[in-house]
Amino acid sequence: MRGSSRPDSPWGARSMSADEFDPEIERLFARSPLLPDAALFTAEVEQKLQKGSRVRVLALSLAGVIGGVVAVRETMSVNIGSSEGVVAGNALGQGIRSVSFNTQSAVQTGLDQLGLANLELGSMGGMQMFWIAAGALIALAAAGVMRLSQDM
Amino acid sequence: MTQSLVDRHDVELAALAAAGGRREFGELVRRHGSAVRGLLRRMGAQPSLADDIAQDAFIQAFERCAEFRGEGTFAAWVKRIAARLYIKRVAKEARYVAEVENEDAAPATDHAGLVDLDEALKGLSEPERLCVSLCHGAGMAHPEIAAALNLPLGTVKSHVKRGLDKLRARLQPPGQSLGGAQHVG
Repeated sequence: MRGSSRPDSPWGARSMSADEFDPEIERLFARSPLLPDAALFTAEVEQKLQKGSRVRVLALSLAGVIGGVVAVRETMSVNIGSSEGVVAGNALGQGIRSVSFNTQSAVQTGLDQLGLANLELGSMGGMQMFWIAAGALIALAAAGVMRLSQDM
Repeated sequence: MTQSLVDRHDVELAALAAAGGRREFGELVRRHGSAVRGLLRRMGAQPSLADDIAQDAFIQAFERCAEFRGEGTFAAWVKRIAARLYIKRVAKEARYVAEVENEDAAPATDHAGLVDLDEALKGLSEPERLCVSLCHGAGMAHPEIAAALNLPLGTVKSHVKRGLDKLRARLQPPGQSLGGAQHVG
């Protein structure tokens, strides 16, 4: 739907008419100049894209770690299965406790196999569990960043 | 990879780039970088500014690659992004309202005596050059240009008409047809 312009003045026999000229000017515009530094330009754009991608990955990883840490902290501070909670809350609390117990048992079994049987998870305080979970999350995030950076 | 990047069509490369393929997008930059840079220069941008805006346009294109449906050419799509970025830049500086006439410029030819569009465009005033380039280089319609430049439609049409009249006069040495030592990009 491009507009066109039509000059009012008539053209001589040797001159190109407006009808001929409009397509011709489009053809001239379609011809791109041969720029000697074309390869350098491409490399610069690729470099910028790569840099932007790295920054994004780092920002997302950082946000993930912070979010994970906050989530773990909040989970640990919730008084699950409180006797004053509603029935649905109790049911949810029991479910989470059950999963937590199973996970704890699995981890404890793993520790036993590694010869770390003396390390009793059940006896750990809330803060110890928090730092272990936070450490695991950070390690996972770092592994993710490493893998993404290798892909780039 | 069964097919090399060079053999792939722009639409295919754009689809792969939309999925995060930077190598595929790099191939698109290699193919169309000069065309986008050339258009910005024709619009009146200094080479360094043209390159900066072209880079920004390609980065924006990469981020918005999923929006490219292949209805037009990929080059035309990026050119429009670049043109809009340039308009934003000149609008800040209010440059396009300035009338700088250069009526005495000689007909433009390159070393081989062939017509040179880039040289001929230098003979146009800044608004004429911008409007002609947006219309015939970036493929924008007159109302679209008017909206982008915040100018009345009649003014845009007038700039395009006068610009084309001047180009016609400058690009047409007697007895020669239009052509040039350039490649289709």
